Amino acid sequence: MHFFYDAVTRIENHAITRWKQSGKKVVGYTCSYVPPEIFHAAGILPVRLRGIETDGMEIGDAYFGPFICSFPKCLLQQAGKGEFSFLDGVLIIPGCDAMRRLDECWRKAGEDHQGIVPTWFEYFDVPHKSEVHGMNWFVQEIRNLIERIERQFGVSVTGTALRESIREYNRGRRLLKTVETLRAEKNVRVSGTDVFSATIAGTVLPREEYTRQLEKWLEDLSGRDPLEGEKKRLMVIGSIADEIDLFQLIENGTDAVVVAENLCFGVRYEGNEIPVNGDPILSLARHYLETSVCPRMFGKYKQRLALLREKIERAGVEGVILQNIRFCDLHGSENGLFQRDLEAEGIPCLRLEREYGPLKETGRIKLRIDAFLEQIA
Amino acid sequence: MRPELKEYNYDWMMGKTLKAAAMVPGGTQKETDLALKYLPYYHGVADAFFNAGDPGIQLLKMLSQYYENILTAREKGKKIVATTFCQTPAIFYAMDVVPVTFEVLTALGGLVWKRGLFDYMDYCCEVGMSETSCSSQRGAMGAYLARLGEEIDFVVCDTPGVCDTNANAFSFAATYLDKPYYQLNYPSTLGDDRSEKYHLDDYKEMIKFLEKNTGKKMDYDRLAALIKIVDQQDELIGELEDMFMLVPVPMPPLFNLAMYAGRFAFCGHEAFTRLLSSMLEWARTQAKQGHSGLKSGKEKLRAYMCYIDHYTVDMNFWHYLDERGIATVGSILSRNFRDISTYAQFLEGSGYGVDVSSPEAMIDTIAQMNARLPMVRSIRGPYDKRNMWLEETLAIAKLCHAQCIIYNGTPGCRNTWGMVKPFSRDLENQGYPVHIMNDDAFDDRVESWDSTRERLDEFFQVRGLL
Repeated sequence: MHFFYDAVTRIENHAITRWKQSGKKVVGYTCSYVPPEIFHAAGILPVRLRGIETDGMEIGDAYFGPFICSFPKCLLQQAGKGEFSFLDGVLIIPGCDAMRRLDECWRKAGEDHQGIVPTWFEYFDVPHKSEVHGMNWFVQEIRNLIERIERQFGVSVTGTALRESIREYNRGRRLLKTVETLRAEKNVRVSGTDVFSATIAGTVLPREEYTRQLEKWLEDLSGRDPLEGEKKRLMVIGSIADEIDLFQLIENGTDAVVVAENLCFGVRYEGNEIPVNGDPILSLARHYLETSVCPRMFGKYKQRLALLREKIERAGVEGVILQNIRFCDLHGSENGLFQRDLEAEGIPCLRLEREYGPLKETGRIKLRIDAFLEQIA
Repeated sequence: MRPELKEYNYDWMMGKTLKAAAMVPGGTQKETDLALKYLPYYHGVADAFFNAGDPGIQLLKMLSQYYENILTAREKGKKIVATTFCQTPAIFYAMDVVPVTFEVLTALGGLVWKRGLFDYMDYCCEVGMSETSCSSQRGAMGAYLARLGEEIDFVVCDTPGVCDTNANAFSFAATYLDKPYYQLNYPSTLGDDRSEKYHLDDYKEMIKFLEKNTGKKMDYDRLAALIKIVDQQDELIGELEDMFMLVPVPMPPLFNLAMYAGRFAFCGHEAFTRLLSSMLEWARTQAKQGHSGLKSGKEKLRAYMCYIDHYTVDMNFWHYLDERGIATVGSILSRNFRDISTYAQFLEGSGYGVDVSSPEAMIDTIAQMNARLPMVRSIRGPYDKRNMWLEETLAIAKLCHAQCIIYNGTPGCRNTWGMVKPFSRDLENQGYPVHIMNDDAFDDRVESWDSTRERLDEFFQVRGLL
């Protein structure tokens, strides 16, 4: 577990450093709608960008306005500080308004902070709908992305290589599905913090190394005893969250265990393997665009609610923490609807607004979580 | 929401208020003066409208008619669609659907209601919306979520990709009210073949959605007639906008509000044509005489509102401009980018043409028209790319001899707050003093009008503009 924990608590972990030392390229991307298989097939390490380890906001605040979510601000802060200097390229995705404006703010910050904008700084235009023309757009966007990668990095992304990459990522998906099955057991034997670390690690580690480590960890898990004491089983959903300390805050010193989550950094696609037959680009497009789990895909609330219900039932969830980063209206508002509908079904919910990054408001959050746990009989 | 507010149907209240207001100028001066005594809260609004002569009266009549249409939709067997301001309602009118445009209604309510639309805004949060979401929808929308307005039949918005916060509000409303929802989605580029094709496909799907939910087929003859009227209206708007280039501006600040409110709510309707014609006649007369449209007759400063105006109680903002001798040369809200407009010609490749020769051509025309309405045009892509917000702002500021640029929005506007700082620096580098207003255009509780006014005064003074 230490391997995953170490990998996800630093922006540039040891594996990234080793990868760079071997002369290979690294590209950062900002959203779960990007198929990392494409970069994998090109021999490039895809790294999902994270704003952890932030210790100030003077750069983020200099370009973004005050009413903006702290996640893109933290990313900009770290970019401005040179913490992403290991990147050979960046891919910006319009996950929401604030995230798409990271494009301008990063570029403009680059005028004041030399060398923080990689030569390859690109935009990946993900539509908000997966219906026919939305899907056609996305497929074309993937094709264009491949061309741009090939041109910039002097590589070739063949259909065969893409299929191999999909196979490799599917191996990880199968393993994560097994983890999900384990944590759904009545006597749960793994903490949510550990599972979350293992999941995030998949977005920042070389895939083969990740799969190997996941296999080892699963072997270890299968022989492990259940966690001590009776646990209250929680699910965490909402805004982007990749902070291990948020999960630690929920679980450490309490009788709670996170048995499920629906977060864009968490296990959302488990068991949902990508077909390796047929056109790999079409398969990737369908997987990433059609599996609509983010409220940015407007008008699909009912599908998302159904997914939550299914997870709640499968993992025996007794309470749901609906967190959102301040100014994240997409999750913030959808959380209100989830609360209405889940509480009507007798599932206690806690709506929690917070800031992204180092938990500076631990006391307040802890107090609310404790009170929520008391509510769960 | 306060229980007493739940006793009143919001649409009815607003409709009756506007109907009464529209009738007042028809009486004698004595009757008008007497009527004003019964308007304790929006004296300033009434004054502004009544003093604007025939254009003010036409504007009141148009707004009154807009509400009348909402209130009588049911008895006339018409469906009601909740929609957004950056979507031309012409396509709804072609299908005999009555649009309820949340932002227009929020602005209107905010101007005339004593407590603004605060209670209705808060109601949205009571039922689950985040309190940081945009107030422009939350105002009027609160009344509909509380079932204090006419029943919405379905929801259509065209902001995903350009303003996700806006789209999120409409998506929330559709889910909360359990109504069908259609979203038109915008890529970040404009004018290239790929995005044009995407718009066309999106609109075809929207027409299918409308046909399914109204049980009617699209009447293309009617659509063609409406597009022609809209085009004539855009030409009139273009003429009025050209007057912003004159020194002094011959129109009062209210005219710009009338231009875009009418376009968002009532384009294609005779009432809007009458309003535009009346404004144009008034402005031409003023222009011939070289008069300023300001009450004092003396233009001291020319400001370009690069985003939206400030819709506080009693039209405080417009009165402030008038009192200080500040002429606005418009905002992005009235710009339509018909290819014959002056500014569209300055921004190569930004305009659209009109073609009603076939259903396909009409859908394409509507799609291209919509793709160039406020927000969906100016701030859809990176602000510093070709034909986007920076270029547009600089082109209009230059054409209209603006001496400063003012940004005003809402804290809910992630889109512009996400880049307004570098945007304003770029404008400053081009020689324009820029003021970023930190208030909420629809909610005085965020920053009181007094503070907003002080900050504006400070800006004008410190930058040596007034």
